[in-house]
Amino acid sequence: MKVTVKFWSYFRDFTECNETSLEVDDGATLGDLHSAVMEQFPKLAEMKNSTLKAVGVDYQTDDFVLSDGDEISLFPPVQGG
Amino acid sequence: MKTQLTLSPEPITEVPPAISDGMGAVVVFHGVVRGTEDGESIAAIHYEANETMARHQFELIFTAIENQWPVESIRLVHRVGEVAVNEASLRVEVIAPHRAEAFAACQFLIAEMKAKVPIWKRAVREGHAVRVHGRAQRVPTQFQSPQGNDPSPSRRAK
Repeated sequence: MKVTVKFWSYFRDFTECNETSLEVDDGATLGDLHSAVMEQFPKLAEMKNSTLKAVGVDYQTDDFVLSDGDEISLFPPVQGG
Repeated sequence: MKTQLTLSPEPITEVPPAISDGMGAVVVFHGVVRGTEDGESIAAIHYEANETMARHQFELIFTAIENQWPVESIRLVHRVGEVAVNEASLRVEVIAPHRAEAFAACQFLIAEMKAKVPIWKRAVREGHAVRVHGRAQRVPTQFQSPQGNDPSPSRRAK
């Protein structure tokens, strides 16, 4: 199945793109996807433990099972205010 | 500390006119861009938002407030794009029956926003935006990546 990964804030500097598409196996989790993305964009590994992850508009944990067509957002700690 | 004290028979015009009879407290907070970031002078802060997700996360916070305090209304403005030093980047207005719940709800709203609403900032120095490092300690525990036991890296996920 295919999912879209969007990058926000300075993660775009790390990846030099706004988004990417990945093929993932059925049953793949958000954690699996994060690992795959960090392999593709090694600079993201610097922020591995503080990366926030959302599927659609909701935060999800690494054990969240992805579905075909999901839109995942990866971003650094938020800084509003 | 500067203070300004006015004793006057004139109406306090800042109070929102739509307030209902049972409401006794209006808390207004302005977040203002400071002139320094990480110890260096800046000209402005550029705010970027994932707007769709930000709206959703704000709605979740508003619902949590509604479930916890008898708040009549919340009005919130968060600037996006470039906000100059000394300008407000955030305005929050909370109306409630009493000051305790109005202040508590306002504090809760801002704390939750700073943890969950996807808005980021870059300091602008002489026309160049530079990254402002996020503070990892602001990340809510439930959203942090688990330590260890990560699957082996693979371009193709599991």
